[in-house]
Amino acid sequence: MTDESTPSHLSQLPPEMLDFTILKRTTTLAPRLGRLSLSSRKTILTPGFLGNTSRGIVPHVSQDNFPKTGINGVYIALEDFVEKHPQKTPPIFQIEASDPLRRFIALPHDSLIVLGARRQPPIPSAATNTNSEIGILTSVGFRTISSEYYAAAARKLQPDIVVGLADIPFGQETIGSRRKDKMSDRTETWTRDIIAKRNTIEKGTPRYNVFAPILPIEKELQSWYLEHLLDDMVDKISGVAIYDSHLLDQLPEELQPLPRLSFDNPTSPQALLRQVGLGMDLFTVPFVTEATDAGIALEFTFPAPQKTNGAERRSLGIDMWQNEHSESVIPLTEGCKCYACTKHHRAYIQHLLGAKEMLGWVLIQLHNHEILSAFFAGIRNSIETNNFEQDVAAFEVFYEPKLPEKTGSGPRVRGYQFQAQEHGKSTKKNPKAYKPLSAPLNVFHGHQPNSKPEVKEVIDDEALVGLVGIENIGRTEQLERLRIEDDHS
Amino acid sequence: MAPIAMPSALSYELLAKCSITKARAATLHLPHGPVPLPIFMPVATQASLKGLTPEQLEDVGCRLCLNNTYHLGLKPGQATLDAVGGAHKFQSWPHNILTVSFQMVSLLKLAKVTEEGVRFLSPHDGTPMLLTPEHSISLQNSIGSDIIMQLDDVIATTSPDLARMTEAMERSVRWLDRCIKAHKYPEKQNLFCIIQGGLDLDLRRACTAEMVARDTPGIAIGGLSGGEAKDAYCKVVDTCTALLPEKKPRYVMGVGYPEDLVVSIALGADMFDCVWPTRTARFGNAITAQGVLNLRNAAYSEDFSAIEAGCQCVCCRSQDEGGLGITRAYIYHVTAKETAGAHLLTMHNVHYQLNLMKLAREAIIGDRYPAFLREFFAELYDEKSKYPDWAVNALKGVGVDLLID
Repeated sequence: MTDESTPSHLSQLPPEMLDFTILKRTTTLAPRLGRLSLSSRKTILTPGFLGNTSRGIVPHVSQDNFPKTGINGVYIALEDFVEKHPQKTPPIFQIEASDPLRRFIALPHDSLIVLGARRQPPIPSAATNTNSEIGILTSVGFRTISSEYYAAAARKLQPDIVVGLADIPFGQETIGSRRKDKMSDRTETWTRDIIAKRNTIEKGTPRYNVFAPILPIEKELQSWYLEHLLDDMVDKISGVAIYDSHLLDQLPEELQPLPRLSFDNPTSPQALLRQVGLGMDLFTVPFVTEATDAGIALEFTFPAPQKTNGAERRSLGIDMWQNEHSESVIPLTEGCKCYACTKHHRAYIQHLLGAKEMLGWVLIQLHNHEILSAFFAGIRNSIETNNFEQDVAAFEVFYEPKLPEKTGSGPRVRGYQFQAQEHGKSTKKNPKAYKPLSAPLNVFHGHQPNSKPEVKEVIDDEALVGLVGIENIGRTEQLERLRIEDDHS
Repeated sequence: MAPIAMPSALSYELLAKCSITKARAATLHLPHGPVPLPIFMPVATQASLKGLTPEQLEDVGCRLCLNNTYHLGLKPGQATLDAVGGAHKFQSWPHNILTVSFQMVSLLKLAKVTEEGVRFLSPHDGTPMLLTPEHSISLQNSIGSDIIMQLDDVIATTSPDLARMTEAMERSVRWLDRCIKAHKYPEKQNLFCIIQGGLDLDLRRACTAEMVARDTPGIAIGGLSGGEAKDAYCKVVDTCTALLPEKKPRYVMGVGYPEDLVVSIALGADMFDCVWPTRTARFGNAITAQGVLNLRNAAYSEDFSAIEAGCQCVCCRSQDEGGLGITRAYIYHVTAKETAGAHLLTMHNVHYQLNLMKLAREAIIGDRYPAFLREFFAELYDEKSKYPDWAVNALKGVGVDLLID
């Protein structure tokens, strides 16, 4: 995402007002080019992406490395910050200074912040939604937050954009039509709440912009909500968050000029292209960090390179765990301008993964974000030059349809990161760090083995322990037995 | 055995000596640039410092870090190191590297030592392996480190077995000769001997004499920091430095607590390494002049001050000062949950250690090291009665009484 100079009329808007200019569009259900700008924040050209954060950072990228990613805006989930709720006021709300969220996570002042309730992708919460509350998952377990609480949080935290709460029963395979009615009703109420709260913000204090959720159900079943959105709220919202990209087909005319954030998480570059083709503007792209954690360096460009006849489909990424890279002194991708590729080579990165050194993930994450940036730049260029459809077709022929399978193990998985359906499985999420040696050891001159594992000079990043042992425990049990992490530390 | 004239790839430029203690300030000119002494060297065991990029390590001021020969020998292995062209190229580190030969104390239970070398089972797959002095040097030649260490026979200083201790000391001397003989690039890599002898001062004296006679470019005091009493540790360092030539760097292996560093400097040591500052960072422990703070304690979850007030590291400086403005509360928020939390605290801790050495060096150059020691302890402990006896006694031995102002 490259910067573009601030549009001239932007200076006439209130400073916190979001401007979305559609630079190119043809028909509905076609890719479009846009520019999302907010004074004092970096402009985001669309189609584009937001850095998908965990606890305030793009995983593995410390704040001093963040500028190396070229990310102009981030997506932040409130559930990453409210584990003390409701017993205690979460620390984030105790910061007295202005712009507390940005300050707390040490994000550069010119990076756009989009706040939502749930991480992307959201993990189904064992706490069910009610008329006034949604279930979330914090690092210490399932909680609920009310719409009022969410709105108050948005007001306090001063993000640039807030995505309104949506009543979606994540993890539920079939949803009855009465439940769908409820989804629509609740989402409407909650959208009104977040807008109303914004109006209570005093003049001179930055006001957030609201993105209204579009539910992943048939248009007819959310027609009341959509109608009211158009009748009462359309001039008070600045964008929409779309949970099912197929609904782009049925988006009311009045909502067409608004920027569209995808919460229909694409699992591959091809899926992402399909959504772009339907007119989606902005993405969070969770598969980037998933690939990084698996040690997979993404390797795809848009448009795809020229296909040589008879050649096999190219992989979308390189599994850096493979031994074949151990003496390879070439970059992850030839010509890539990312920090990892300009400073390091495959042999080192392969070594880092095998040695469980955290730097391996850092370098792959920086690389993967560069690949994604270039991919979006390629998409925009392709739309600009009217080649998008052909380029997508060529891309699908050139590359395998899915990212490579994960072979190596990733970083230690935290409770708030794994999918709830994994709970029932008996396999350990984090395999034991040490394997006992099968051969007998020579203990020497009576010197006893050191009983403290921490003094061992062995690979000790495994010792990066989670604070709460919620692994391998059933969901209900988790809820009952959860304690605030500090109770026992 | 007659001394062997040995080429050196370093020069030790003595800048100042404390007029009261044995502290020295110097610049050590190494193949990949000069480094200030006294120095703390962070430990990048497997050619990476715990999540930091080489650039981040450079930014906290590090110009000399450690790699572990044994670990690099296993992975990526000598063939890769040769193919890539050594450890500097392998990890893209343009500054100096010191490779410790084995640091065997911690691995001893896996090992058996014979005159030939160290036999052990690979912790990766359990296959028997043999590390000889020749193999160790060959590996370090492939690594291309600026300072290489001899293979030594280390046993725990706390071992009561004097005969075994003597054997280990004498064997270390014999192994040094084998290392010197095997060393292919003395003109570009500096071999350091390692003085052994446990806590027995006579053994240490005898070993020092033998080692000094071999005229290596630098000298290490090994086998310490293995759980011995601090008084005994200080006596060994004090005894050895008294016998060492002035114009050579002195490296005390495995030492890294701030108190240990400032006292060891007063006893005449110049170089130190320890995994503790970086390891402890990953558990949320921040090193500060007032002591170590465990930022995983709930008390810090609402503490929006810098990790350490006044610290000039990139995390602690405010955004207005060009830093990140990271707070204790944020470290609490990410420690042990996101790898980047460890990266941030690792940068702070390494910066603390390097800055402590910088301040010590400035104090020595200004001939105010005794005052520096008083300030250091006064900051670390709120009252004199809490000063550790070993530090008070050791410093008394070099002319500084911490208990009188």
